[in-house]
Amino acid sequence: MTEMLREPRVRTALAPDPVAESGTKLPAVAMQGVTKRFGGGRGGDPVVAVDDLHLDIRDGEFFSLLGPSGCGKTTSLRMIAGFEYPSAGSVRIFDQEVGLEPPNRRPVNTVFQSYALFPHMTVVQNIAFGLEMQKVPDDEIATRVGEVLELVQLSGQARRKPSQLSGGQQQRVALARALVNHPKVLLLDEPLGALDLKLRQAMQLELKRIQEQVGITFVYVTHDQEEALTMSDRIGVMNLGQLLQVGPPEAIYDTPRTRFVADFIGDTNLLSAEVVDADTARLTDGTVVRVATGRPVGATVTLAIRPEKLGLWHADAERDLRLDAVTGRIRRMTFLGNAIVYEIVTETSGTPVELTVRQGNTPGIEHFEPDERVRVRWWPTSTAALED
Amino acid sequence: MATTLEPRTTPPPADAAPELGLEADAERAESRRGLLIGLPSLAYLVVFFALPLVIVVVYSFATRSRTGRTILGDWNLDSYARLFDPLVLEIALRSLWLALLTTLISLAFGYPFAYYLATRSPKVRGILLVLVMIPFWSNFLVRTYAWRVILGRDGPFVRLLEPILGTDVQLLFTPFAVVLGLVYGYMPFMILPLYATIERLDFSLVEAARDLYASGWQAFLKVTWPLSRPGVIAGSLLVFIPSFGAYVTPEILGGGRTTMLGSYIVRQFLSARDWPFGSALSVAVLLVMLAAAVVYLRSGGRNL
Repeated sequence: MTEMLREPRVRTALAPDPVAESGTKLPAVAMQGVTKRFGGGRGGDPVVAVDDLHLDIRDGEFFSLLGPSGCGKTTSLRMIAGFEYPSAGSVRIFDQEVGLEPPNRRPVNTVFQSYALFPHMTVVQNIAFGLEMQKVPDDEIATRVGEVLELVQLSGQARRKPSQLSGGQQQRVALARALVNHPKVLLLDEPLGALDLKLRQAMQLELKRIQEQVGITFVYVTHDQEEALTMSDRIGVMNLGQLLQVGPPEAIYDTPRTRFVADFIGDTNLLSAEVVDADTARLTDGTVVRVATGRPVGATVTLAIRPEKLGLWHADAERDLRLDAVTGRIRRMTFLGNAIVYEIVTETSGTPVELTVRQGNTPGIEHFEPDERVRVRWWPTSTAALED
Repeated sequence: MATTLEPRTTPPPADAAPELGLEADAERAESRRGLLIGLPSLAYLVVFFALPLVIVVVYSFATRSRTGRTILGDWNLDSYARLFDPLVLEIALRSLWLALLTTLISLAFGYPFAYYLATRSPKVRGILLVLVMIPFWSNFLVRTYAWRVILGRDGPFVRLLEPILGTDVQLLFTPFAVVLGLVYGYMPFMILPLYATIERLDFSLVEAARDLYASGWQAFLKVTWPLSRPGVIAGSLLVFIPSFGAYVTPEILGGGRTTMLGSYIVRQFLSARDWPFGSALSVAVLLVMLAAAVVYLRSGGRNL
């Protein structure tokens, strides 16, 4: 059974400092102290959509801004595009200040949420629009439009109007219309939101393929954590106008820094605990677990553990000193097809701890019944101490 | 209906799906209800619009007796032949020209205002829309007479212009006064359809154009303007059609030298007592307007 709970590989995210690593290269987008306030003109209180944002997006990476609606991610993107001007702070694209430049003077292009294809133009006219505005010679326009049509696999639909295309095809046209200009940064505002699940998953891989092929920096806004995890090189999680955490998908998922990040991305167990020393904390039921607390002794701390990182054993299983463990009773079991989710309440003294355990439905996995006494065990590195 | 109600030899199971014939019955009942709802307005249109129109068409082929009575019978095309009389053509061309001018000026002033209106907050929009419609609260005739005072000998414009230009200034009873009166009277008909179109416009398309290196002006020419064409055409027709057949405005502000078709038709019916010719003129005007409407429907459908 212990094989089921393999020791996690050592995280590389902790080793090199991401910013220092790219120190020699200019960031594609650098936002410094960017704040955006809306309204407040006539006595009303202004709404702070983006609050003192500091963010470097590296050249060539697929960067996602992830957060719930109203978190300021779209406003941030719109400030890079030039549709909103920042109330304070600086927006630089390859070290060129663009914060107050209009959109047509920025080397970036946008794929809009609703695609915003020009309904009175054909696919080709839509795609050629940007090049025509830049006064690119006609023969070059023809070549580049042809190339990009091929890239998005739409060569057959060139003469159609957007209304004659399916949602997925419209999405590709929107992408082609932006990419044909060879922007330094491509901005995507929830471009897959309107597609159904299967198509969305296909387009996720497609977008990633195209990004790797053209090598352009993508800044991708989404509220879909799965989408962000699937495609991104790095993710920035936002809430209430603030950037909470930036890092590669693994780091965001495995070591969330705040309660919001832990909760928003994936499912998680949030456990209240008291700091014992730098390396251990005590859960409310008295169990002592190993975790890098980073808090003064006696402070209250919230711990986050992913349900799939917890292993389930019979209550009389042998002790393994490398693992942390609690004993409890199964309160409820839910069969999900590819996994089974157990809700467990601990039985030790003190306030019981409630845990959700997710076991993959793999061959040989032991199934447990409600009310059964079980032992829940996990590797200490699976536990993250949150800052709030 | 009757067949489905006949007793069956074997009763169908209670949960059997209704037979196909019943669906057709239901659809027929639906369309009967639709007819019933439409009947009052249909009757109104027939009695007060279609029948008078038929009478006008019939009269246009009749003959005027020497005493000015209309002789029904002895049908001919004489009245239509008179449409090509140089005097009639001059009046028709003047009407066309003044109506086109009115339409263009209304568009030039109405479009920016409609755009402004459509891009305001809902609250400001409401106030401005009421302001657009306020003139309708008082009588058109009264408002036109007001212009007569404003443009007249002792009006503010003449008083202001005469010392500057040092000559006599004639504003009233000129084509200028007629066009001014028409623009004033029909501007709301230009603004409202334009507003409706621009208000529905997806402004992310304008953002997309700006994002694709278009300046504000280019974005307008390439995106906003083509997409507001249905409103432009609707507004232009709503201004052109009544301007072309205008009667009150040229009569009050135009004087004798700026007769338009509307006044000329009225004259045939009243002072000249030539009903067949008046009817033929009316039919001709109707055909011009119909042509304009067809142009509208064609281009409106092709655009999107």
